[in-house]
Amino acid sequence: MYLNVKQRGDYVATFRWIEVRLMEMLAAWVPTTPELEVKLVFGAHIWEAAQHADALGRRANELRLPLHDSLEPARAYVELLAEVGAVTDTATRIAALYDSILPGMDARYRHYVDQVDVLLDGPTVRIVERILNDTARMARESQELREEVPAVKSTESKWLEALRERDTRLRDVVGHRGMTPAVPVG
Amino acid sequence: METIGTVIGRNGVVLRAGPAREACFTVVTDQAEMAKHPDGSLLSRREQLHGDVNAEIQSLEIAAQSLADFPDAPWELRLELARQCWDETRHAQVFLRRLLALDGYKGEFPIINQDWGVVCMFDNLPARLAVQNRIFEALSLDVFKEGVEAWTGWGDPETAEVIEGVMVDEIRHAAFANEWLRRLSVGNPSAMLKAVAAMSRLKSMAQALTPPWMKMEHEIPSNVEDKRHAGLAT
Repeated sequence: MYLNVKQRGDYVATFRWIEVRLMEMLAAWVPTTPELEVKLVFGAHIWEAAQHADALGRRANELRLPLHDSLEPARAYVELLAEVGAVTDTATRIAALYDSILPGMDARYRHYVDQVDVLLDGPTVRIVERILNDTARMARESQELREEVPAVKSTESKWLEALRERDTRLRDVVGHRGMTPAVPVG
Repeated sequence: METIGTVIGRNGVVLRAGPAREACFTVVTDQAEMAKHPDGSLLSRREQLHGDVNAEIQSLEIAAQSLADFPDAPWELRLELARQCWDETRHAQVFLRRLLALDGYKGEFPIINQDWGVVCMFDNLPARLAVQNRIFEALSLDVFKEGVEAWTGWGDPETAEVIEGVMVDEIRHAAFANEWLRRLSVGNPSAMLKAVAAMSRLKSMAQALTPPWMKMEHEIPSNVEDKRHAGLAT
């Protein structure tokens, strides 16, 4: 059974909420990260997340929701993002975002595509494919960054491992309407 | 907006505390402490590029901080700021590339984060757009136009071409701020009043922060064509 229009709208609006948060997280990190090369990568990726949020926000409107409608995800995931946003160490920031948060989102986007009729929901699927493509590039750039600046390579920490596990457990983070009110952001 | 740290600049001007920098940089808070080499010399050209890298980084940081500080701004405006972040990263990279090509390096000269210190003292977005995008970015159109001629004259067409490319983006940054100041003011005159007040405050801050012996020796000609393209009064 595929997701219906209303359910798809909730997924899209939730994904948008998350992309806006990622944009804001990177934006807050730029002035507080000392390493120039890292600042430049974070700065470029602000624009990637913003474009994702924009495309999803427009698609939400096509799915009978207000333009740029955003839906807050499950509380536990909101807390996880807030925890990552509060990290101050550069290597940990990079590892948390590129080795945990983005792969986690990657899995959620793929899971979404598995649940829809790709023909019927073609416009969303195209957006998701572009996001996955961008995310792969972002991951590549984060890897190149760590090669260029070895000091920001993170050693595998327990914290990161625990973060990955929490993220994996929170695979479905969509705050379905009726249970959670929509929260406009950005 | 969270509470911000401040520092005291020349003549007691209160500035926002500086953004994070690597230990290789010597960060000064007074323009008098900046290096100054004879115009056109290799050291002077590297110093310019080094300053350009830091200027672009500050523009990135200012746009990013505005995204973080004003989550309730209209989405289309936030999208412009996000795009500006990317633009500024590319500008910093190309200037850094030219610096390295001239055998310069990160941290070779002192840097000053005065643009950040001034702009991020303003607690509202119209003020930041007015000062950073409408004044500083528009002023950079004048400076860069002169820069294209200077670098060409110094026999460095690569750097001249880089500056020309950067200018294209700066036109857009000035233009979107101009357009958004107009849109924010429709039905809300206080937005324009905040912008005007900020521009007036900037004037007094700039006077206080500039050492008397470092005032402009010559007036930079206005880049009329690009400013017109950005929709700015020339």
